[in-house]
Amino acid sequence: MFGEGLLKGLRITLGWFFKPKVTVQYPEQRCPIPDRFYGRPEFDYDKCIACNQCVLACPNKVIKLGTETVDKKKVVTEYNFDQQYCLFCGLCEESCPKDAIKFSKDFELTQYNRPDIEIKFVKPEQVEKKKIEIKKAAEEKAAEAARKQAEEAKKEGEEGS
Amino acid sequence: MHRGIEKLAESRTYTQVIPYTDRLDYLAGMLMNWGYVCAVEKLMEIEVPERAEYIRVIVGELSRIASHLVATGAYAADVGGLTGFIYTFRDREEIMDLFEMVSGARLTPSYMRIGGVAGDLPEGFVERCSKFIDYLPTAIEEYNGLITGNEIFQHRTKGVAILSAEKAIDMSLSGPVLRASGVNYDLRKARPYSVYDRFDFEVPLGTKGDCFDRYYVRILEMEQSAKIIRQALDNLPEGPIKGKVSKVIKPPAGEVYAEIESSKGIMGTYVVSDGSTKPTGFISADLHSLIWATWMKWSGAGKLLMWWQFSAALILYLEKLIVNPIWGVRQGGESLCKYCRRHKKSAGIRWPDRYSY
Repeated sequence: MFGEGLLKGLRITLGWFFKPKVTVQYPEQRCPIPDRFYGRPEFDYDKCIACNQCVLACPNKVIKLGTETVDKKKVVTEYNFDQQYCLFCGLCEESCPKDAIKFSKDFELTQYNRPDIEIKFVKPEQVEKKKIEIKKAAEEKAAEAARKQAEEAKKEGEEGS
Repeated sequence: MHRGIEKLAESRTYTQVIPYTDRLDYLAGMLMNWGYVCAVEKLMEIEVPERAEYIRVIVGELSRIASHLVATGAYAADVGGLTGFIYTFRDREEIMDLFEMVSGARLTPSYMRIGGVAGDLPEGFVERCSKFIDYLPTAIEEYNGLITGNEIFQHRTKGVAILSAEKAIDMSLSGPVLRASGVNYDLRKARPYSVYDRFDFEVPLGTKGDCFDRYYVRILEMEQSAKIIRQALDNLPEGPIKGKVSKVIKPPAGEVYAEIESSKGIMGTYVVSDGSTKPTGFISADLHSLIWATWMKWSGAGKLLMWWQFSAALILYLEKLIVNPIWGVRQGGESLCKYCRRHKKSAGIRWPDRYSY
């Protein structure tokens, strides 16, 4: 009979009319997001060793890393992530030896103003704090070395006499 | 399909090209990844571990199903039945969720790496995937009831645009379009790459080569893909997921051509290396570009295309020359919004500060 196929199709759609909905009401309800999801990037300042691997791994030159050498130690002074050029491929996360750069599950990345798209992770206070820490550590180390030297000299002096 | 990816690849390392290959065909990103890494592996003679090959087959075939679901649904929508489109996209969502689980992205996974895959299958993937494969036949039955059996759909597709086997070969077509014309040519069978020789599946063929056959071959191919995934999930071996590849990829100087059976036809990649870390040449030939080239040669359509482009440019130029000044003057020149050129910046509406340009 002509029209049988049409009726069959209508029966299928009618059947779904009485079944629960498959859609999700987005802002109120949210689908679970898997762990490997690439959302907004996150940067851990204390973990970063300024090895430049993420900068080299990125296909689009999204990451800008600025460093400064304080007492033979590299301090990260700038870590800018220009999200508008990011492909969210995860090559930077994969190349990082210390897990300093990570991607969170936050996918709502829209901004009202263009300059806000670029994320500037490093704050000046952090850099100052780190620099002071390194200097302090270096001073302590120097003091320790001096003390040891003095002790050795004393010992040698005792042995000599 | 020319998107300048060849030129982009020249200034990137071999691994950095992978995210770009997703964008060649975003309906089957996994297969595009595969086509590229396959070529580089052939050039470097890397042996891919078995588990990685099986994972590639699973995600590749899932990708094929996802792509065919779009083809099926969009076909129904284009001949006038949007309902079919909604139903195929509902099931495609499950595949997208699986991809998100495994690679962190839905359409552009960048999951394959030279010598293997980026990460092992996450916990719960195998169960969820096999649940989907169990469900797929029910879904296909639904599509058959909704789309294939529909008389209006059949009237609009049967006997339309018949492509004979000879002509299909002459036009150097491949993939489901070629097989719908009755030519038994599937790279997975004809020249098995990866581990496809271990799976038991059939190559569905059309008989007439009309629009209906091209549609129905895809439905049948989805069933066969599901069959392959089922076998791959059952025989998934343990072991490493990445072969012995150094971090800096430096293939020997030379050139290589590798091809795989993508969802829309043969995906061939031609890579030229000069021995450095960056490719000096990279071409990916897709079905579309081949059709395009053949068709232009065949019908003299090049002239038509040129005329079309010329007229489009002419219209744009005239608009700039004549329409815009008049429009601009009438709207009050300087105070126009600098982005859309239509509405005044402060024409009665006060935008909140954060919206203002």
